[in-house]
Amino acid sequence: MSEEKGLLQTGRSVVQRNLRYVIWFWLLNLALAWFGTLSYRGQIAPILENSLHADQFVHSFNPTAYVELLAMPQSGSMAAWTTPSYFLAGLFAMVTLLLMPGVFRQYTSEYRVSRDELCRTCGRNLWRYVRLVLLYGLSALPLTGILFGIRNALQDAAEKKALNEVLPFWVGTAMLALIFIVVTTLRIWFDLAEVDVVVRDQNAVRKSVGAGFRYMRRHWGRLIGAYAGISILALIVLIGGVWLWHILVPPSSVLGAFLISQVMMLLWLGARFWQRAVASVFYMREMLVVPSYAGFRTPETGPASVPATTPLPSPG
Amino acid sequence: MGFQSRIVLLLSCCLAVSAPAQSSGAKRAPSEGQASIPQTTSAINSITPMSERVVWYNLDAKYDAKTHQLDGSEVLTYHNLTGQPLDHFPFHLYLNAFQPTATWIREARRMGTRDVGNYEKWKDEDFGSDEIQRMEVVGMGDVTASLHYIQPDDANKDDKTVIEAVLPRPVAPGETVVFKVKFHDKFPETQARTGYKKDFTLGGQWFPKVGVWWHGAWNCHQFHVSTEFFADFGVFDVKLTLPQDQLVGASGVEVSDVSNSDGTKTVTYHGDDIHDFAWTASPRFRVGEETYQGTMGPVKMRVMMQPEHWSQEARHAKILRQSLEHFEKWYGPYPYKTITLVDPLGQEAGGMEYPTFITGDTSWWTPDGLYLPEIVVEHEFGHQYWYGMVATNEFEDAWMDEGLNSYTEVKVLDDILGKKTSVMNLFGLTAGEHDLQRLQYIGVADLDPMTRKAWQFATLNSYGGVTYGKTASVLLTLEGVIGEDTMQRAMHTYFMRYRFKHPQKDDFLNTIEEVSGKKLNWYFDQAVSGTQVFDYKVLSLESSPTNWYEKNSKEKEGETVYESIVMVQRKADFAFPVEVLLKFENGETVREHWDGQDRWARFHYLKKSKVASAEVDPDQTIQLDRNDFDNSRTREAKSKAVNKLANFWSFAMQTLSQFLSWWIA
Repeated sequence: MSEEKGLLQTGRSVVQRNLRYVIWFWLLNLALAWFGTLSYRGQIAPILENSLHADQFVHSFNPTAYVELLAMPQSGSMAAWTTPSYFLAGLFAMVTLLLMPGVFRQYTSEYRVSRDELCRTCGRNLWRYVRLVLLYGLSALPLTGILFGIRNALQDAAEKKALNEVLPFWVGTAMLALIFIVVTTLRIWFDLAEVDVVVRDQNAVRKSVGAGFRYMRRHWGRLIGAYAGISILALIVLIGGVWLWHILVPPSSVLGAFLISQVMMLLWLGARFWQRAVASVFYMREMLVVPSYAGFRTPETGPASVPATTPLPSPG
Repeated sequence: MGFQSRIVLLLSCCLAVSAPAQSSGAKRAPSEGQASIPQTTSAINSITPMSERVVWYNLDAKYDAKTHQLDGSEVLTYHNLTGQPLDHFPFHLYLNAFQPTATWIREARRMGTRDVGNYEKWKDEDFGSDEIQRMEVVGMGDVTASLHYIQPDDANKDDKTVIEAVLPRPVAPGETVVFKVKFHDKFPETQARTGYKKDFTLGGQWFPKVGVWWHGAWNCHQFHVSTEFFADFGVFDVKLTLPQDQLVGASGVEVSDVSNSDGTKTVTYHGDDIHDFAWTASPRFRVGEETYQGTMGPVKMRVMMQPEHWSQEARHAKILRQSLEHFEKWYGPYPYKTITLVDPLGQEAGGMEYPTFITGDTSWWTPDGLYLPEIVVEHEFGHQYWYGMVATNEFEDAWMDEGLNSYTEVKVLDDILGKKTSVMNLFGLTAGEHDLQRLQYIGVADLDPMTRKAWQFATLNSYGGVTYGKTASVLLTLEGVIGEDTMQRAMHTYFMRYRFKHPQKDDFLNTIEEVSGKKLNWYFDQAVSGTQVFDYKVLSLESSPTNWYEKNSKEKEGETVYESIVMVQRKADFAFPVEVLLKFENGETVREHWDGQDRWARFHYLKKSKVASAEVDPDQTIQLDRNDFDNSRTREAKSKAVNKLANFWSFAMQTLSQFLSWWIA
């Protein structure tokens, strides 16, 4: 337990030491979302900006007026403003993936990684991470598809047979919890693999995937405890944030709503970075069998590049 | 008090109790030569019958809760008050609608239904039937051979929802005729608010029901996916035999509940001055009861809840009681001795009305600030007035029950829950009944008139939007023309005049004109009979200094004179007089009246202040306008609403993108 606590605490320290990454990603997240709303804004502004009826959205929020607004021909098709937003949401996920090698580089280093090194690491691992995400997709999609299929079947069966109306809900919720654990397990596995690829400059990503799987299996209890704990904390942040938004922010305060929503987003993003930091700390403690490697240097000696042709031995 | 006196008093009490049971309680089924409709009043708080009783149904049914089948016998006494001899009688067999070739299913596949989808795949459980095994007319013999299905509405020969009996000789005007019918029902898994689901049964439209002689002809329509019902008033005596573990609720008052030796029990119900009879049974109901002191006498409120919803029993009882209070205060007395509210298992049986018997609709998770259970209960209770007592033809004039009921739903719920919050008041989200009714209508504003027969609407959405939403919006807008109090008086007069009758469109509209003292054809022709669309707009507003041509002229507050021009447009074809409120930057306001006859109006002002805003219908009395956003215009743009909505959308997209990146990267 204390070891697990140590994992969480050390991970948190890593995130705190490198808070700039969380801030950068949050700014990127905000910027992309802002660009995503331009089309939406452009379509509703001509209807609302000069209308007294728009007050229905200022001093409270009337869902029926909102449905009316969206259904108006002047609002245009929903696809016209949802598509850019969805595209940019997907883009954020992709950009996160491609910048993550640099983050892991920093999280596994004891010195401040320079911008050049960060970019080099990202570039060097770009194709490796693409392959990793493809492998992840090949594992996760069929598995979650099957699990959601089982969930739906069980829920349908409960709805059909159980007299108690609440039972299908609990069946569905229990299955969702199970799916969450399975997908989190996959996430741990591939997070470890991502760290391994960076630390070992591993070109054969299958070796990193294999190593990640072995260590995830051996230490599943510790890792899932840490990951699930952070996820639950993130969920509490989200729900608590919405509740505080409702309690503290006056309906007409756009600035208040913006601030509290962005604090929530920042904390949510921080939670995921915390998980990645946990993976990095775990990796450095448990998986790095060679005491030091060329890319993991102390600030005194300064950074050096890892020769791609001489990868470190995979952890056993 | 001496012993003898006590014996005498006890006997007197027994006589007093039993006497009304004989004179005003349930009657035995009529036999040959004893055919008259009883004048019982044991189910109503009135010493005399309240309706012209045309029918007396004696139903004796045995229900098998495992196979969901029912064997029944019906003795129908029909009083021929049509003024002419009748030799053929149509009967509704509504449960036959749930067969693959029936009109109801064909329409459901084409248009959809309210709850169970489009029947893309037929399931055995969807099947329902109501089969007449034998029909005898007392004094005329067996007429089973004369029975044949008819299709008065379409040419679908496979539709078996109406059957006609031909009698060997006509029934003379003023005579009564007694039908003895053996029938067998197979209930479907709940569809159109009848059938079974697991251990729950809702017995609606379950017995052969005679049509209504209406304006010189039988009115007995086939069952359509968008239609409800129409029947004559009368007396119901119903015996139901079912397993002893079943808790039963039904129309009318319970007369007896007797256990049988074979593990069944027989419950007996009696109803006066009603035109239909429904029942429910389930072993798992939890029941709450209380008495409401009505203006005509006590009303027993019975709330039958699913056990998972028991925590909402008080909520259901409260809104039922409040609805009773409001209807009695505003529209007229509730004369029945009972009202049973059933919380059904599954939405397919939810939100339905039968005389003195309604179904609600809730879920175990429904939060307090979401008033869907209240809306359903109030609405279905309202049908006790608009359908139950003012018994309009739901096939042909659906707006007169559903629409009037939606209007009174707005009035009652707004009064109880607040105008802006009568639908929801939850986490900063607010919505009112006005908004909800209007929202239903504006999407289908130009498709069908309110007076369209229910099965002839263009789409199911149009039926719903026009029948419910448009009617409510038309009557709410009418309040702005004749006054809210006058409208309430008109509704009260209409109810008192036409309760226990079958009024039509003109009866209602003429009552409004009479009470208000205004000719309203100009409005009714457009709103009720027409498909005119209501859409007004502030086209433009501008202010410019009158001294614009002077060199080096500077605008000075309070000194510079501005020419302000405001244009208002009637964009669509519904002409209606409107008020226009203009506000100037110095706080001055001007109210203009425009008759709306032309396509546009221009207002022109010379003032030492610029116009700030213009608003059509500033008092918000008009519910019919298809687009409320362009009813007003400010000269300066305000971006707060846009920023707020954009922030919501941005937050939603940030959450989505972080969720994606959480699992992908």
